[in-house]
Amino acid sequence: MPRKDHKGKVSGQLPYISDVKVENMVYGVLYRSTIAYGRIKSIQLPDLPEGYEAVGAEEIPGPNYVKIIKEDQPIFANEWVNYIGEPILMLVGADLNILYDLLEKVKIDIEEHQAIYTLEEAIKQKSAPGVTMASYEFGEILDTITSIELKAHQIIEEEYDTGYQEHVYLEPQGMLAIYKDDEIVVQGSMQCLYYIKNALINALACGDDDVRVVQSPTGGGFGGKEEFPSMMACHVAVAAKAVKKSVMLVFDRSEDMVVTTKRHPAKLRYRTALDRKGNILSMSVDLFLDAGANEGLSSVVLQRALLNSAGVYKIPHFHAKGYVLKTHTVPNGAFRGFGAPQSFAGIESHMCHLSNTANIDPLEYKRKYLVKQGDPTITKGNFRDPILMEEMIKDLLNTSNYKKKKTEFQQDNQQNQRYKKGIGTSLFLHGCGFTGSGERDHIKAKVKLVKSKDDQVSLKISNSDMGQGIFTTLSKIVAKELDLPYEEILFPYPDTKEVPDSGPTVASRTTMIVGKLLERAAKKLKSQWQTGVEQEVVENYVHREMIPWNEKTFTGDAYPAYSWGVNIVEVEVDTLTGNVKLEKVYANYDVGKVIDDRVMKGQIDGGLAQGLAYGYLEKMTSKEGKIQQKSISDYGPPTSLDVVSIESKIFDNPYADGPYGAKGAGELTLIGGAPAVQAAIEDALQTPFQQIPVTPEVIIDSLWMKEGEEG
Amino acid sequence: MAEKITAYRFDQLDQTLSQLNKENCAIIAGGTDVMVMYKSRRGVPPKIPKPIVFIDHLSELKRVYQKHKDLYIGACSTYSELLENPLIPGPLKKAIKTIAAPAIRNRGTLGGNVCNASPAGDTLPLLYVYNAKLLLRSVNGERIVAISDFIQGVRRIQRERNEIVAEIILPSVMEEGAHVVFEKVGNRNADAIAKVGFAGYIRLNGAVIEDARFAFGAVGPTMVRSVDIEKGLFGKTIPLADTDIAQVVGAFDKIIKPIDDQRSTAIYRKTVALNLLRYFLSMNQYQHNQ
Ligand SMILES: Cc1cc2nc3c(=O)[nH]c(=O)nc-3n(C[C@H](O)[C@H](O)[C@H](O)COP(=O)(O)OP(=O)(O)OC[C@H]3O[C@@H](n4cnc5c(N)ncnc54)[C@H](O)[C@@H]3O)c2cc1C
Repeated sequence: MPRKDHKGKVSGQLPYISDVKVENMVYGVLYRSTIAYGRIKSIQLPDLPEGYEAVGAEEIPGPNYVKIIKEDQPIFANEWVNYIGEPILMLVGADLNILYDLLEKVKIDIEEHQAIYTLEEAIKQKSAPGVTMASYEFGEILDTITSIELKAHQIIEEEYDTGYQEHVYLEPQGMLAIYKDDEIVVQGSMQCLYYIKNALINALACGDDDVRVVQSPTGGGFGGKEEFPSMMACHVAVAAKAVKKSVMLVFDRSEDMVVTTKRHPAKLRYRTALDRKGNILSMSVDLFLDAGANEGLSSVVLQRALLNSAGVYKIPHFHAKGYVLKTHTVPNGAFRGFGAPQSFAGIESHMCHLSNTANIDPLEYKRKYLVKQGDPTITKGNFRDPILMEEMIKDLLNTSNYKKKKTEFQQDNQQNQRYKKGIGTSLFLHGCGFTGSGERDHIKAKVKLVKSKDDQVSLKISNSDMGQGIFTTLSKIVAKELDLPYEEILFPYPDTKEVPDSGPTVASRTTMIVGKLLERAAKKLKSQWQTGVEQEVVENYVHREMIPWNEKTFTGDAYPAYSWGVNIVEVEVDTLTGNVKLEKVYANYDVGKVIDDRVMKGQIDGGLAQGLAYGYLEKMTSKEGKIQQKSISDYGPPTSLDVVSIESKIFDNPYADGPYGAKGAGELTLIGGAPAVQAAIEDALQTPFQQIPVTPEVIIDSLWMKEGEEG
Repeated sequence: MAEKITAYRFDQLDQTLSQLNKENCAIIAGGTDVMVMYKSRRGVPPKIPKPIVFIDHLSELKRVYQKHKDLYIGACSTYSELLENPLIPGPLKKAIKTIAAPAIRNRGTLGGNVCNASPAGDTLPLLYVYNAKLLLRSVNGERIVAISDFIQGVRRIQRERNEIVAEIILPSVMEEGAHVVFEKVGNRNADAIAKVGFAGYIRLNGAVIEDARFAFGAVGPTMVRSVDIEKGLFGKTIPLADTDIAQVVGAFDKIIKPIDDQRSTAIYRKTVALNLLRYFLSMNQYQHNQ
């Protein structure tokens, strides 16, 4: 069965936003701050030729902030700048060449203040005003932990760092505002139509009917097109209103890499009490996220990071505390996994190091602590559905020949001075959908199916196909329920004028939550079906009975359901260069039920490649507030020569509230990559690492230091 | 409106050379460096400040042949063409395979890599240890210059405005029977700019070293090579004594001065460069491989 979007994409015919031209269209280019932190004193514009105009904070009809959660992100900075690259104003006009020249001539005087450039600095200053943007704490009472620690055999403390990750969607960000007398239509590459619509209503101080948001073909998102496009949408819409023309804003790759959101760099501090045999008595985690210059979605990212801070384990006397800290760097935001990849990298690394202390194979050690059905979660919720982790582990041990490989590698490594082989594992889960009661209280998803007179059925939902395949999977669900051929189901690009708010395309929620609503809607339509008559059915979200989530105390069921995974990775490390070569990658997953095998395989291969690369390959750094890697080759996401073919298997474990039992799958596949690759490198070199990515530079430094100590 | 540009594409090398003699032009072979160098921001065509001369189609610049013991490689041979050619030594093919990806290898040329004179040019370490010479042509005739004299710094070459690099000559390469290695260290396996490049060359008579050459890329403004250090190894026997190895590595330690940049660190580059050298010197056997 061909994917719905196959033809247009494979033939190259599909127009993306940068291919679009409309009548009376001008381009916008942004003047960005060159200072990390400072107060704007004056703005001097060059003489603008006819047809060229500047648009800034004064042109915003509504309040000057991008509506996300907090009101801390200006659309155009007009008092303070908080990071290098922050938009101050936009120049619009017909010719990009002229616009770039004019941009060079804008003079903005900024009084520079002392910036916070790194997470380290922010942690030191976390009690200073404005530095801590959000903070949560939960779990075992600290006095109890103290008394356990007093009696413990030993206490292991580790500090672990995770780096930036850049989305590198194939299509850079782009947004077009089409100017009409009675409405502004914003069209572009996006994941969340109604986030954008709400931001526009706020920025333009207008009514619901005055703006309309239409998704254009979207070449990848990975979370990078979750909240960031709201700002670009405000830019083009404000400009379109001001100049009464349609305005196009498209980034080239380097602009996109330098100014758009990234995965939050994090620091995790573990403090674990062990008994004589290396059993865990208690564990505390402190987690710090680098938010960058404004809060954006960081508090929610922190929540997910904390909720996953104990991994897939039942740890006795567990305590967690987390902080979102401000730095004067490019804001960080949503990224596939949403805080969980940082936590899983950290906890898997820590568990592996604890197993070394206990002198037990890492996988054996981790299995002792695996949660089981009926166990409480770290927030006093409940793992109420069956958990297949043990089966999946056993199966993967067989497929990968783990035990044999482990001994073989150790022998081979004795012989081979230059190349060392290693094998590592990761165990992980992903909570599907929004945290806590978010789906019920905030999102309130609604879907619609429309049947035309000639009995054509169309999906009317606000979710984006950004390449992940929902055109195909959701159409399949509706086709099956209606007993219609899949080819006949229509799923047009969503337009807020046509579609109800079925929620954003994030949080591994689309198949499970929106898919379930569509299944129900299709059932309803079928029961009411009248041939040759226009019909419409609507379905609303129904919340699963759970232990109510309390955001203040951080207690209750954090998620309605969990997807699970096991990865085993083999690597070969070149000890002369520190280069890591992936040799084999194995993966087992429980995603409830697969709707389409090839779409799922796409998620597995892509998610794993991205997750593995997060662990050893992709490296982004910021120096005095400036992102250093401005091109794909400098940043180094994996190519087809870096990734090996991935042997994967899916275990059925149907979930009652997902369509045919389907749970979330999009983010899960990324999460296990980095910890497994780190574990494999550690196995090869018999050296622990305290950070990802474990780059060649990190490896050479560690090997060199080791030699230095011995010599 | 796009500005007008002048571009020449002559059928013959002679016409090309006489145009170059009349006018200061930008030479484009494959264009894979030129187009990047002059690229503008999105939506604006590249701004090349001079008239353009295309040379990639000139058959005089695309021949690969053997003359006596020497190998002549036309400057405009593309990487893809060279990979197909049986005369090209194995190590050079290995280096070419590490360059970019197929699309760029279909356009990029060996002459372009030399004339671009990037510290990270991947064919350069090998060309240095092969003692490559360049045959330059102009309306005034020909001249031959050693690659190490031709490349003077980052993107600085000793080319007169009216000259074209016509051929790259690898002297004696067809007969010598040396052992040559090439290693590129990049951040990934394709489309990567070298963090360190290394070429090693050794020729033995029995167990006695007759000739040894080493070149390092991406650790300085140009390739690092030292004939003085190399000479110290002539006449020594393999396997080399640890002290000899330490001496050579120590000598290079003093002259390799890499930098920190967005791709790697100075300390990494240096450590790895010396690791690769040490490894090459520590081999017990060297097989002829060209
Ligand atoms: C995506 C990408 C990846 C790349 N990856 C690599 C890589 O991995 N390793 C690597 O080494 N390089 C890489 N490059 C750089 C480039 O492809 C090579 O340097 C290539 O060899 C340049 O050849 P060209 O024919 O395209 O040169 P051009 O761009 O045509 O020319 C380069 C320079 O040399 C001059 N020139 C060219 N030929 C002659 C001649 N015969 N006589 C006089 N002057 C001449 C030109 O005027 C110009 O100054 C990459 C480039 C890109 C775009």
